Amino acid sequence: MRNKPFFWCIFPSFLLISAFICILFIVYAQREFKRFYMDHTVNELKKRAMLFGERISDVSYQSPKYIDSLTNFDGANTETRFTVIKNDGTVIGDSEEDPDLMENHRDRPEIREAFENKVGVSVRHSITLSRDLVYVAVPMIKEDSVVTVIRASVPVVSMKEIIESFSLNLLLAGFFIICVSILISFILSRWLSYSYTQIIKIADRFARGDLTPVHINGFLIKESEKLISSMNSMARQLNERIQTITLQKNEQKAILSAMVEGVIAIDLNEHIIWINDAASEMLNLNTQVSKGKWIQEVIRNTVFQKFIQELLEKKETRNTEIAIVGGIPRTIDVQGTTIKGIDNKVINGVLVVLHDVTHLKRLENIRRDFVSNVSHELRTPLTSIKGFVETLLYGAKDNPDDLLRFLYIIQKQVNRLYTIVEDLLVLSRLEKEEAKSELQLERVPIKNIIESAFEVCEEQARKKHITIQYNTRDELTILVNPSIFEQALINLIDNAIKYSDENTVVTIEFKKQQKNVIISVKDNGCGISSKHHHRLFERFYRVDKARSNKLGGTGLGLAIVKHIINLHRGTVSVESNVGQGSKFTIALPDNRSNNLH
Amino acid sequence: MARLLEKEIEMLKKKIFELCAMIEENCNSALKCIENKDTVLAEKVIENDDEIDDMEIEVEEECLKILALHQPVARDLRYIVAALKINNELERIGDLAVNIAKHMIELCKLDNIEIEFDFQEMMVKSMAMVKKSIDAFVYLDSALCYEVIIADDELDTLNKNMFSLFNEYAKKHPGNIDSFLRFLSISRCLERIADHATNIAEDVIYMTDANIVRHRKFSTINANRQSN
Repeated sequence: MRNKPFFWCIFPSFLLISAFICILFIVYAQREFKRFYMDHTVNELKKRAMLFGERISDVSYQSPKYIDSLTNFDGANTETRFTVIKNDGTVIGDSEEDPDLMENHRDRPEIREAFENKVGVSVRHSITLSRDLVYVAVPMIKEDSVVTVIRASVPVVSMKEIIESFSLNLLLAGFFIICVSILISFILSRWLSYSYTQIIKIADRFARGDLTPVHINGFLIKESEKLISSMNSMARQLNERIQTITLQKNEQKAILSAMVEGVIAIDLNEHIIWINDAASEMLNLNTQVSKGKWIQEVIRNTVFQKFIQELLEKKETRNTEIAIVGGIPRTIDVQGTTIKGIDNKVINGVLVVLHDVTHLKRLENIRRDFVSNVSHELRTPLTSIKGFVETLLYGAKDNPDDLLRFLYIIQKQVNRLYTIVEDLLVLSRLEKEEAKSELQLERVPIKNIIESAFEVCEEQARKKHITIQYNTRDELTILVNPSIFEQALINLIDNAIKYSDENTVVTIEFKKQQKNVIISVKDNGCGISSKHHHRLFERFYRVDKARSNKLGGTGLGLAIVKHIINLHRGTVSVESNVGQGSKFTIALPDNRSNNLH
Repeated sequence: MARLLEKEIEMLKKKIFELCAMIEENCNSALKCIENKDTVLAEKVIENDDEIDDMEIEVEEECLKILALHQPVARDLRYIVAALKINNELERIGDLAVNIAKHMIELCKLDNIEIEFDFQEMMVKSMAMVKKSIDAFVYLDSALCYEVIIADDELDTLNKNMFSLFNEYAKKHPGNIDSFLRFLSISRCLERIADHATNIAEDVIYMTDANIVRHRKFSTINANRQSN
């Protein structure tokens, strides 16, 4: 209950103030009343004494009994005690006592004053009556001297009673005032605390993040109004700042998400502070799950882990390369640098940027392989030629059998060199054609092309007793550049023959399928394992080097086929398994226009 | 005091995860050797094993230290005990990788290998099991564990098939017996790697569900799992 504290702040003060005022008032009122009543009583007594004095002024001194009876009589009537005192102090008459029994009163203070021609007032405890009395002594003057003193008195008690009842009323009034003050303080505190509570609610709302401005009055308090308008402007500013920050954060997030490079921020304890989508994709991670985890948990690559550890230790920029094996094999170039604190001295962590260089590496490898392969391929026959020529020069030329034999060998090697160089030229020409993309096309029946290709391979097939089967009756035509396309078929058939056992069949099929023409060359040879399939059409890529060399291959046959088919905007694919033969399939688009663009 | 225990367990986790990464990589390399007949890589695999052994000893010492100093209970105790066992299994997998590398080197020395055996499927599957079991350990995911346990049956079947294949070829080409024996050993190593991966999965289940599922048939495990 929020009111209580406020209430208990205000109420005691109110209580204190009103109590204080009440008490002050009561005390003051009491005193004034007392004084007033006293004055009034004294005046009354003075008048009564004077009246009584007049009454007995005609009566002579010689009849004290008469005076005494008068005091009794008048005293009873007026409820006053009258005392008549001679100028020597003896009591002549008294309303309540026997004057003969009373002692001399001249030393009484009020009497003494009266002897001096003044009105004497005294409040005393009367021994005679054992009560507190108010005494007023009035001198009776005859011929400028005090003859008698008339003293009138009333008991204090009666005065006291009146004053007491008056005080009681005042007290009751005081309580009433206090109750009213409680009520007022209650209302006031409720009002103030209500307005405070509302403002607190608004502040809470702001604190929770809801920064919509407030439109309430100030609860009749000007300062509250000011407070509320200040809070409104504060909320507005906060809102703007938050929006700016959010905008910046979103920009940053968008930039980092859009990056092709991966970015990872790692703290000093090897936790991942932050990782962008590209990095997660490269490392096969889940972005959400990875945040906050150790690198040992999510990136299970020892080279990377060691790299980070060294980076954290040495605190200098360095880079390395890591190989990702799980999933798609990749090579990632990793560059690491330290994240410095605000003062540029303290290291808060490390930042790592990842580049996917798989493609680059692959091209590099292909190029390297190509160059080394070409040089090797060219060198082998050249070494052979060189050796035999030297042998001839050193004397073998004189032996006709040796001469002939060696010359044949040299010729074979030269032919081989020639074939390799030819293939390379074909390949480079094809690449140029690809760049030009202006191919001369003719519409020819497929079986004609197969026939001419077969002629080239016939000798080889006959030697291994291999039969080539194809449908000689189907007149299906295709739109190709005949000489170039024939070369592709020759290469495929040549491969089929090379890698088949003796007495087997090579089947060539062709058919029309939707918008394409499908041509396939199938053999029952040794087959190709699936792991080689994606690299089969690369230049110089050979599944089994030794075997290919033995069979006179250059490693360029399928690369040439691929280029040729690409030129015709077609596709070539392979289906094969170890020990189950191979089937190479060409798919060509067959639209009925004369020129391919 | 609890904070100190927490920190020590964190250190242990880091070390064991490092070991996991090393094992996974060495395994992958060993399998690459089979694919590419790469003897250089095989030598590297054998070399790396020293580091792996050192790491395994470190992990074990760390576990014993925690047990001695902190006498953990309940969940922490299960974790440490499982970590000790998994540490062992990982080291076994590492040794098997080394064995494969050694067989490969010997195989490449022989030059009359006429028949090629395709281990592609076995390699892919066993490597996947190793990775999954390590994932299950890192993320304490018991669902992955059950997948690993089921996959072990496939590998046993593949191994049996390899065996009968070898049998067949050996009878036809008795001259190539050396290479066949090597191939057989490699096949067995792959099957045992899968077994150890399965053991890791079972230990992880113990860690997460406090349920010991070893030596039970799959149907019982499945029933248990559904009741959990």
